Amino acid sequence: MIEYLLLAFGEAIMVLGALGILRFPDVYTRLHAATKCDTGGAMSILIALALMTSAPVLIKLKFLVLAFLIALINPMVSHAIARGAYKYGIKPKVVVDMYAWDNP
Amino acid sequence: MHFYLKEHLEEMRRRVLYEQYRAQKIPVWERIALTWGVLFPFWLIVSGSTAPGNLVIGAITTLIISSFMRDMLTKDIRPKGSVLQKGLYFLLIYAPQLAIIMMFRILESSVKVARNVIFMDINPGIVKIETDLNSDTGIAVLANSITLTPGTLTLDVKRKLGETYLYVHWIDVETLNREDAGEKIKGDIEEWLKKIFW
Repeated sequence: MIEYLLLAFGEAIMVLGALGILRFPDVYTRLHAATKCDTGGAMSILIALALMTSAPVLIKLKFLVLAFLIALINPMVSHAIARGAYKYGIKPKVVVDMYAWDNP
Repeated sequence: MHFYLKEHLEEMRRRVLYEQYRAQKIPVWERIALTWGVLFPFWLIVSGSTAPGNLVIGAITTLIISSFMRDMLTKDIRPKGSVLQKGLYFLLIYAPQLAIIMMFRILESSVKVARNVIFMDINPGIVKIETDLNSDTGIAVLANSITLTPGTLTLDVKRKLGETYLYVHWIDVETLNREDAGEKIKGDIEEWLKKIFW
């Protein structure tokens, strides 16, 4: 029962994240939607799959290794994209920008 | 003037202590054992069989790899306690706590971003916070944890005069004070990381 709940939750989060990539105003806030919704949705879907399959334990642990790698790589890639976009010269739509104060 | 000199002296003393601790490393066989302890379960999970020949080949291969890659993972670990104590502490207390808390943080952050998508109540800004961690591994883990906690995204890391600063894109700016912002963004992750890394 709980695996179907996790599966539905993950898919709803993924759909809302895709909607957020369309609705948010600039690059950095869109990266928020891409990173967090993808990580949470993919992790809950993987945990649901690990609970669903009738395989030995070593096979189920592979899903957890995948979830760990996603949680490790996803924030790193979003940090690289955000920093690259800032260095390229895309201005963020923000109320306060302390990064521009220190790097004029 | 007097107070300034006293503060300066305390700062110098702290720096000397830090450099002393920085110079000493954990012993070689402990570094090899810790790296082997990470690599061998990974071999076991990825290969996916528990035949004796497979186990022997995996143990020998990961031992050879960990004997010459020993500095890669364990360079920044604090030298305190024996390897057994450290391993048991990490395995029984630290890792389950961090895994469970981070899992709930990730789910909470995805729910929060989904709520932001629906209602569009955003107020973004880039703030600068200060951290006490100094090593590369500790800063990397802290920056990744900040990106996964709700509403924040690490933009850059800068090291200046022995202090480390993080620039964080915050989707809903609540305060501009550096201490308050650091308290709200870092939470208690930094306390846990300071027990293991520099």
